[in-house]
Amino acid sequence: MKTEEPQSEIGIQHPPPFRRAFRIAVQGIRIRLGRSLVTLSGVVLGTAFLMSTVTTQFVDRAVARERDARQQLRIMESVLKSRIGSIEGKTLSVAVCGTLTPMDAALLDLLRDAKPAALRLYGAAACPGFEPANLTALGPGAVAVLILGDAPVCPVPLAALTGGMNVPLVIDSRSDRQCQPAPGVRREIFFGRQLADQRDRVAKQARQDRFRTIWIVVVSLAVTIIGVANALLMSVTERFREIGTMKCLGALSVFIRRLFLIESSLIGLAGSVIGVISGILLTLVVYGFIYGFGLVFGSLAYGPLMLAALAAVITGTILAVVAALYPARFASRMVPASALRSTV
Amino acid sequence: MEERASDEALERLLTSSGDNAARSGYVIRAVDVRKVYRMGDSETHALRGVTLDVHRGEYLSIMGPSGSGKSTFFNMIGGLDKPTAGKVYIDQVDIAQLDPYELAWLRCRKVGYVFQTFNLIQVMSCIENVMLPMAFAGRDSEEAREKAMEILDLVGLGDRALHKPAEMSGGQQQRVAIARALANSPDILLADEPTANLDLKTGKEIIDLFRRLRDKLGVTVISATHDLKMLKASDRIAWIDDGRLARLSTPAEVNIDVEEVH
Repeated sequence: MKTEEPQSEIGIQHPPPFRRAFRIAVQGIRIRLGRSLVTLSGVVLGTAFLMSTVTTQFVDRAVARERDARQQLRIMESVLKSRIGSIEGKTLSVAVCGTLTPMDAALLDLLRDAKPAALRLYGAAACPGFEPANLTALGPGAVAVLILGDAPVCPVPLAALTGGMNVPLVIDSRSDRQCQPAPGVRREIFFGRQLADQRDRVAKQARQDRFRTIWIVVVSLAVTIIGVANALLMSVTERFREIGTMKCLGALSVFIRRLFLIESSLIGLAGSVIGVISGILLTLVVYGFIYGFGLVFGSLAYGPLMLAALAAVITGTILAVVAALYPARFASRMVPASALRSTV
Repeated sequence: MEERASDEALERLLTSSGDNAARSGYVIRAVDVRKVYRMGDSETHALRGVTLDVHRGEYLSIMGPSGSGKSTFFNMIGGLDKPTAGKVYIDQVDIAQLDPYELAWLRCRKVGYVFQTFNLIQVMSCIENVMLPMAFAGRDSEEAREKAMEILDLVGLGDRALHKPAEMSGGQQQRVAIARALANSPDILLADEPTANLDLKTGKEIIDLFRRLRDKLGVTVISATHDLKMLKASDRIAWIDDGRLARLSTPAEVNIDVEEVH
């Protein structure tokens, strides 16, 4: 039965199959849950920040119209205030040419909320009886006459609108509306230079913000890598003897390296998924409180957002693996004799 | 002791362990082994030329105070470190010629290591610890589990197979470590102060186990120690001092004055 095998034959060690390394890595994560959670939270924070930045941009785009509208309304309000002071207790007249734009409607709501003594409305939409003949009623006692609506031409002369006013003042919502001017009547426009200025300022601010955001995201991801690498290095140090022992038992450096890479990619994947989900949700909730949940959730581009989320998960996982490269190398280079050291 | 009950398992192991006892000759030869550690400009001569042959199937103790070069020599003959000069042959193979893959292969199959601090993988159960070297050797999982059970029976821990190391006493952990060292039926069992962290009685049980394994499996046992109890069980004692082999003796030649522990 006995075969005469030469005793001096030495084979080549092969690393055990991948699933074996995978099992051991998972076991390690489970048992050293505390350490794994530290590593995980680094990835979670990094990807959550990345994803909340991305989501912010998505929400910004989705609510851009609403945001612009609000801005315009604020400008209208400030123009009004600067001309006539507080609206409360005063009489205002509104002439509607054509149909009310949503902006005009919002302004009307705003005016009603400001508790004027009277708000006189004349016009096609607001008041079917909008006839030049009725216009005499607009002027008397009013501090200003607002011209709203989308019609490019005002059908009545300004003089007719302001008849009976102490200080004839017309405030128009459209700068390009053709009106028949009258001597002594001041015509102001809601959105003149101010809006253009504001738009420039916002655009410039956005450019600066964009640069700063990219910078902050890059820095935070770098910090994530360093944090994860640090946690993994600690983990390697803790496992000095275990790694040395495995090497004594025949583990190849490849296998040790694989253990750490599997561990970090699993932690990276889990952390990224948690981070991305929490980043999206947190951002949406915050914006939901600002713009209303209906608007935010209703106008979001879900497809591209999901793609961005997927990209962020992949990014987070890759970052974790990149962070593990050095610790894994460090671990795999450990000499087996370190298992024999009685200290540590 | 429960380990006596496992002669049947022992027989099975014997047949699968490559007939170590049947072979003869030297299992390890160290020829004028020197080791120099360089730290910056200073040089430390840990070994200054040690020549020693280890017979197949013998129980050799390596004695020496700390700093004598004992550990360095121990690492050399275990294939854990390479000499600066001189040759170390394990099973007639010059380990200096081996690449990392061949060294890993050798550590996996030819040598079983037993450590002072047991060094069980804490996250794994006993049987998983014993199966680990088998996995490194590319053994099939089911077959490995069976053999691991047999070896655990052999060291008297068959009923503890699924326990985690932390749930066991030091002596039990060391027996699991011995079982793990035997996993791939090595020619050599290399034990570094295996009883230093154990109490007298447990230490003696471990030595008895080594002795029994040597007798039954024919495995060569090499043990670094300064535990006098261990000397008595050994066939030969190599005294290392100041990086040199001071003398070789048998226990009979050494006047060991140890109380017998029961």
